[in-house]
Amino acid sequence: MRHIIRRITDKAFTILTGTSVVLLTSVLLIVLGPMVWRGAKAVIFKDTVEFRKMQLDLYNRGNPASLKAENAETESFRKTVYEIVDDFKHGIDTEELIDRTKQIYRQLGKELRYKEVTDEDYQRIRSLARDIRDRLQAAFESNDKKVIKENINYILQYRLDKDLADTAAAEFFTLAEDFSQSIENIDLNKSRQYAGSLQQIEEIIFRLLGPKPSDPLPALTMERYGATRWDMAQKLLDELLWSEQWVQKEPRQPLIKIRISRAEEFAGTKLEPLFGYVENNLDKMLKPESRFYWQYFIDDSTPGHYFGGVGPEILGTLLLTLLAMLFVFPLGVISAAYLVECASDNLAVRIIRMCINTLAGVPSIVFGLFGLAFFVLFFIPLFGGPSKPCVLAASLTLAVLTLPVMIRASEEAIRSVPQTYKEASLGLGASRFSTFVKVTLPAALPGILTGLILSLSRVAGETAPILFTGAVALGPLPKSLFDPTRTLSYGSYDIAVGDRLAMLVPHNQYGMVVTLVLLILCLNAIAIVLRARVSRKLRG
Amino acid sequence: MQKGKDNMPIPALEKEANIDHINSVVSLSRKADSANREKKTDCKCAIIKSENFSFYYGSKVGVKDITMEIYPCSVTAIIGPSGCGKSTFLRSINRINDLIPHTHVEGKLLVNGHNVYDKNTNLVNLRQQVGMVFQKPNPFPKSMFENVAYGPKLQGVKSRSKLQQIVENSLKAAALWEEVKDDLKKSALALSGGQQQRLCIARALATKPSIILMDEPCSALDPIATGKIEDLIDKLQNDYTIVIVTHNMQQAARVSERTAFFCLGEMIEYDSTVKIFRNPGKKQTEDYVTGRFG
Repeated sequence: MRHIIRRITDKAFTILTGTSVVLLTSVLLIVLGPMVWRGAKAVIFKDTVEFRKMQLDLYNRGNPASLKAENAETESFRKTVYEIVDDFKHGIDTEELIDRTKQIYRQLGKELRYKEVTDEDYQRIRSLARDIRDRLQAAFESNDKKVIKENINYILQYRLDKDLADTAAAEFFTLAEDFSQSIENIDLNKSRQYAGSLQQIEEIIFRLLGPKPSDPLPALTMERYGATRWDMAQKLLDELLWSEQWVQKEPRQPLIKIRISRAEEFAGTKLEPLFGYVENNLDKMLKPESRFYWQYFIDDSTPGHYFGGVGPEILGTLLLTLLAMLFVFPLGVISAAYLVECASDNLAVRIIRMCINTLAGVPSIVFGLFGLAFFVLFFIPLFGGPSKPCVLAASLTLAVLTLPVMIRASEEAIRSVPQTYKEASLGLGASRFSTFVKVTLPAALPGILTGLILSLSRVAGETAPILFTGAVALGPLPKSLFDPTRTLSYGSYDIAVGDRLAMLVPHNQYGMVVTLVLLILCLNAIAIVLRARVSRKLRG
Repeated sequence: MQKGKDNMPIPALEKEANIDHINSVVSLSRKADSANREKKTDCKCAIIKSENFSFYYGSKVGVKDITMEIYPCSVTAIIGPSGCGKSTFLRSINRINDLIPHTHVEGKLLVNGHNVYDKNTNLVNLRQQVGMVFQKPNPFPKSMFENVAYGPKLQGVKSRSKLQQIVENSLKAAALWEEVKDDLKKSALALSGGQQQRLCIARALATKPSIILMDEPCSALDPIATGKIEDLIDKLQNDYTIVIVTHNMQQAARVSERTAFFCLGEMIEYDSTVKIFRNPGKKQTEDYVTGRFG
């Protein structure tokens, strides 16, 4: 009986441990998998001609000649889009038309004064023009086709008027004619709605294709290029084809989101063919190509994190991490050596030990504020440095943050060196110091390196301690230790909280996070290889 | 460290002379007659003398009231049941017991006339003169060369060729040279247990001590390795004062000239080995060596 129970418990133990390992692995995959997948899209993706333009302009990469040819090709397809939109806009954008009539009226006044006509003529022509203008405006603003027709017919009877011919007022008749033509197929009750939708559509087209070739170059770099990525273009296409609306299906019920085809919305108008055209010719307008954008890891990013890569962030993270390690390694080892080799077991030492254990669990933001209060505002100015967030303060804060971990690991490592090594060394006439340096420390090195790996991972990923002590979201590379730097952790935090960019460039945010994970992995791998080499040397 | 106050009037051997000295050890064959050695008058080895020496771990007695004189250039064995204080006594001679906190001593323990528990004792010099071999082979996790050269390097020998000479001589003296001369660069941990122990002996010899303390040097070794170590001890006794703690009474009988029997922290009997094993003066000793007790 007992034998059976023992076998069952053994089996249960095996199954339990196996299951937990499988569970952990799957959780890791579930958590990391999508992130890595999305992050990889920052590097491997389908680009568009806009991307190549941006690369040529901002990073001087690519072949200008072939790009020019490509540009001309895409331009020929894009032209139709702009034509359709412009054509439709004439009939629909009444505000613009009304503004135009006012302009014409004013211009006419100037012309008349220039021609030095008699007061009487001036008054007559002005009142006629005002009449035409008002009727035209009434036509533009009206929703009733009959009223519009009446007004336009009224206006057009003055077309051959001598006074108005060859003046600015002649444009009134062109406007009137164009308008009467363009409204023929439009349900005027919807024109307001059309105006709103049209504005959206124009904005989407702007984001999709970039500024019109005829327009001046926008001031913001991010507005100079259309969709640089094919997935972005697809998303914009979807926005173009479908509008979303919140409607109330039944009273007292929450609003429901529905998708409305814009082609249906604009059915029968001059804009209708636009949608089909864009959908069918998007690839010709943007020319997608697969791209392995490895320069993501070295490129500086341009406006915000809209274009470019995370080069400065990687450098900043490395700089902070390695500097922090430089501070924490000797400090940690020396402190641990004191605790193991020199300190006797009295109250003071016990209090120190307790403090170290407590510090290991203190939230990192507390260290951040400590770093601000101590390093930035007191310590560095004390030695004549500038009192501002900087690399030095940030790395010192990180070192303080990870010191408890380092001390604990080193202490354990030093303690676990066999006493016989120490005895042998002392027995050969070595002093305590040379015993520690020549025998204990080398033997404890693998354990100490484990502590270093743990601190390294923590330091590289920390955001809160560097929040106030030396991280910036944007800015140049630090020129000295007294400049702030960009880091991956702070960068992803900044994109996540402070920016509409996160919605526009999710791949960049994920890319940054995955880069951070990869960086920590690389640093760890280096440290682990180092540790393996040391312990192999020790084992012989 | 080397330049520290030297209060130990231990005769320092000339470095060059010592190399020859070790060489001569190797060439010496085992001498059958031990009586001859006792009469040696030119022996430079140190004398260990303890006068009412007591050692306490806190309030617990380690050894109590030990009064004995250990003769130079001979092997002295200390036997006794576990926990009788023989290791404590041995480890007091080079003060390696200092590593244990809360201990204190009473009485005197003299090496060449100087009390080792004197406040002014230079531990570095003491331990260079009193080499030690431990129960378990404990080579450093370094190469064999580094292991043996560790002591001389601490003494300030820098020249590579001199170090090589010392390493070679020490390994020859420890009868290990022939086995390892081709891979001195390999880690000492790659050696077998017996080889490691001989390496530890070589390491102890390299600092040119006059006394070698051996704390059950063969307890972790198989009979063949033990035989080799015993042969080695036999060779070394011409030039070093050797004190060996052992559980193995046959071993004590084989290698030592004089034997001390400890029990419960006290020295029961101290006499020539032949006498202790053949004709012990006390009942307790007789019980122990005949296996009726302990």
